[in-house]
Amino acid sequence: MFLETLIFCLAGIGIGIFAGIVPGMHVNTLLPSLLFLGMVFKFQPYSLAVLIVSTAITEIFVNFISSIFIGAPEADTALSVLPGHRLLLEGRGYEAIKLTVIGGIGALIATLFLISFFAQTFKILYKISRPWVHWLIIGAVIFMIASEKETRKIISASLIILLSGFLGIITLNSSLVNQQNVLFPVLTGLFGLPTLIVSISQRASIPKQARDESLKISNKEIVKSIILGSIAGIIVGFLPAIGISEAATMVQYLGGRGEARSFLVTLSGINVGNEVFSLISLFLVGNPRSGASVAIQRILSELTFWDVLYLIGVICFSAGIAGILTLFLGKRIPKYLEKVNYRVLCSAVIIFMLATIFALTGIFGLLITFTSTSIGLLCNYLGIKRSHCMGVLLVPTILFFANLNPIILSTLRI
Amino acid sequence: MIRINLTLACFICSIVGLALIYLAALSLQPIKVDLDEISFDLVGRSVTSEGKIVYKKVHSAGHLFLTLEAQGSKIQVPIFAGLMNRLREKGMTEKNFSVGDRLVITGLVSEYKGQLQIIPRKVEDIRLNHVP
Repeated sequence: MFLETLIFCLAGIGIGIFAGIVPGMHVNTLLPSLLFLGMVFKFQPYSLAVLIVSTAITEIFVNFISSIFIGAPEADTALSVLPGHRLLLEGRGYEAIKLTVIGGIGALIATLFLISFFAQTFKILYKISRPWVHWLIIGAVIFMIASEKETRKIISASLIILLSGFLGIITLNSSLVNQQNVLFPVLTGLFGLPTLIVSISQRASIPKQARDESLKISNKEIVKSIILGSIAGIIVGFLPAIGISEAATMVQYLGGRGEARSFLVTLSGINVGNEVFSLISLFLVGNPRSGASVAIQRILSELTFWDVLYLIGVICFSAGIAGILTLFLGKRIPKYLEKVNYRVLCSAVIIFMLATIFALTGIFGLLITFTSTSIGLLCNYLGIKRSHCMGVLLVPTILFFANLNPIILSTLRI
Repeated sequence: MIRINLTLACFICSIVGLALIYLAALSLQPIKVDLDEISFDLVGRSVTSEGKIVYKKVHSAGHLFLTLEAQGSKIQVPIFAGLMNRLREKGMTEKNFSVGDRLVITGLVSEYKGQLQIIPRKVEDIRLNHVP
């Protein structure tokens, strides 16, 4: 049993690295193939569960590499592109990766601690908070806009939220592009491509990366960010339709996590906290809250307390190995990036992203990318924060929770 | 000056892009399929299908959960509280949906707990034919 668990855990870590590094690849995309493999090779249910859990956890850690180094984000790491890329261009790429690993491992410990103490209260919290979710998000949006301070920028931020919000309403509610892939062109356009285009236009180059491994952030700030990230991750885990990006945006504004380093720790913490809670939520609230936990539920049907402990062990082992591998890759990759012509690299990444988008989502995906890239670039030229583009998810979420979706969709006739 | 031109160009591209996406979404019709043709390959796609209501459950939060059957296949149809409120405004309550009635439904195919669902999103997505 132990050897089998170890083998499947390592295989999951390998698959997770692949899913994390390749842009556009997500554990949810791989789940049908993993389930199919399990059926063909008649894997034991526990072995298959181990494979899925270790893949999901590893992907979270490794995904920051592609979002920070080549500006190719997943929905959950989209907001890391900006602070991560900024640190890379300051010669602190490894520090950015190190911060996400610290955030992830710290949040794993903090989340397990929080869950063990507050396990019984989640069901109650879930019921109490649900009617108020849209007000919470509306509050965060108002804070986002007001944080721009100057009138011209406040108007610009409102315009970006409206444009990205409308883009979200149409793309997330129509079948122009398969809903499973729709966020790829949307977020690549809003966050990834503008970063690369601006880098090319400003003739940016990757400076020599700092050799020292120190962190330019205090331990107190790291601990604060980890705790905040874990709490936000758990909230994402038990509140339906609140995604990691929405939570990160709210934390960024409401919790004052605007500084690049503390934000990277918090974002990584939210990702890990959410994944851990989602996997354990099958036992805690009887509801799967992520693609991986849906698959686990399908495989194991009823989760006992001992199953949960077993999966927690797998999560901890996978997170540890994934953290080490992410640090290893995070140290090596910038050294290669230093040597290549950064403009050529950015151009190659743009072509690769557009080709992947076309392959996954067709011509409509390219149209969505064109539009979202224009909105993302507009933020740059208006001189406001690009995180306002999160309106693409925040506005549809507000409409859903305020029960306004049917009215809007009827009005728009989509 | 260049910055103003670039800002204007991006703004125009955003508006034109949004208009094109909207027009494309308007022109796109849901795929008409029989219930037994709905498979996991259609997850994320908009479909129109028809079946007989074989199960009905009203949730305390205001949702209505139906199961449709046709050609020997079954599929779940959750009508969430937001849409139920809109249906009530149009004079259609949970009581109008009875086991045995035929329902023509349009919505996104999705997967929940390993089961396929069609999720209607607006009033026009639901057409009910009472069986006398």
